[in-house]
Amino acid sequence: MSTLIVIDQPPYGSWAGREALDMAFSLAAFDQSVSLLFTGAGVNWLRTYQDTQEIQQKSVERNLAAASVFGVEAIYADEAASRLYRLMPDNTMAGVTVIKDRAALLRQHSHVAFAG
Amino acid sequence: MSDIKTLHILNKPPEHPRTQQCLEALNPGDALLLIENAVLAITMSVEAEVAVPVFALAPDVVARGLGQSPRGASASLVDFPVMVNLTASAQNVISW
Amino acid sequence: MAATPPQHYTLVITGAPYSSQAPQTALFFARAAIAAGHTVDRVFLYGDGVHLASALSAPPSDEAHWSTEWAAFLNENNIPGVACIASALRRGLVNESEQARYELSASNTLSPFVIAGLGEWVEGTMTSRTLYFHSGG
Repeated sequence: MSTLIVIDQPPYGSWAGREALDMAFSLAAFDQSVSLLFTGAGVNWLRTYQDTQEIQQKSVERNLAAASVFGVEAIYADEAASRLYRLMPDNTMAGVTVIKDRAALLRQHSHVAFAG
Repeated sequence: MSDIKTLHILNKPPEHPRTQQCLEALNPGDALLLIENAVLAITMSVEAEVAVPVFALAPDVVARGLGQSPRGASASLVDFPVMVNLTASAQNVISW
Repeated sequence: MAATPPQHYTLVITGAPYSSQAPQTALFFARAAIAAGHTVDRVFLYGDGVHLASALSAPPSDEAHWSTEWAAFLNENNIPGVACIASALRRGLVNESEQARYELSASNTLSPFVIAGLGEWVEGTMTSRTLYFHSGG
């Protein structure tokens, strides 16, 4: 049993991504195998130098940095979406695996969940 | 045991970004079930674009005025009991 | 189509009533699943889906009341209905103990829905087929 949590909504404009991250952390807390896939506008979660002070929300960059500590196995980013949103190695957070074949990644997991 | 590997349940309208992602994720052996807003895709003959069986939830099709009009050739209309069967027998289910 | 072996389901609803079709699609699915001899282990409300457990919605009398329809279905079939506590508290869905804890003016969880943690969902993913009913966008 391995779960892939998919985040395809951009950060801050809605809570769906945050609540998806909570799902991933919760599975990891119960020692379940879980990875995250950022695709579509969701790849904007992965950009560095997010400064959220003036919108008074917690930085998702900081939340996500804790993923490996909590036991999330991998963080994947869709290559085409990363290119579309100009995410390069120098402005993408560390520890992200860029993938070309989303369909193959979905196939590798027995359970796939979107937050909303 | 069903011969469906992954049942993809799509409820987004055709222009929603997740619809494209779903269609790109279909593999041989999978099936696509259109429900809610996604049934509008049959007006564009989505079943001709994809290489897997396409089902559409009849109450949603009929509600949207598509029960009588000429539809694409091969989307099979199903009711809730058949939707249950599909989800019970597929090896995996993804709700898009 | 041939009958399939009995399946255990966890149904996750993330779309809110009257904002999305999710709660009603999930209800019709659940009724059909029970009628076919399957088991619904639990219904888990997450994100905006927690609004379904509010005791305070009052739709016009000529519209379906999805919260009370769901509550009746859960009662008839003895199925647990669980709203995620983190989603619920953010959105103003509270039970009596959370009302007391946060010193709020009221509680509004419709029986038999209860409020609990994501562990209920994790349990569902481990022991049953978990289906999601999202907003249709």
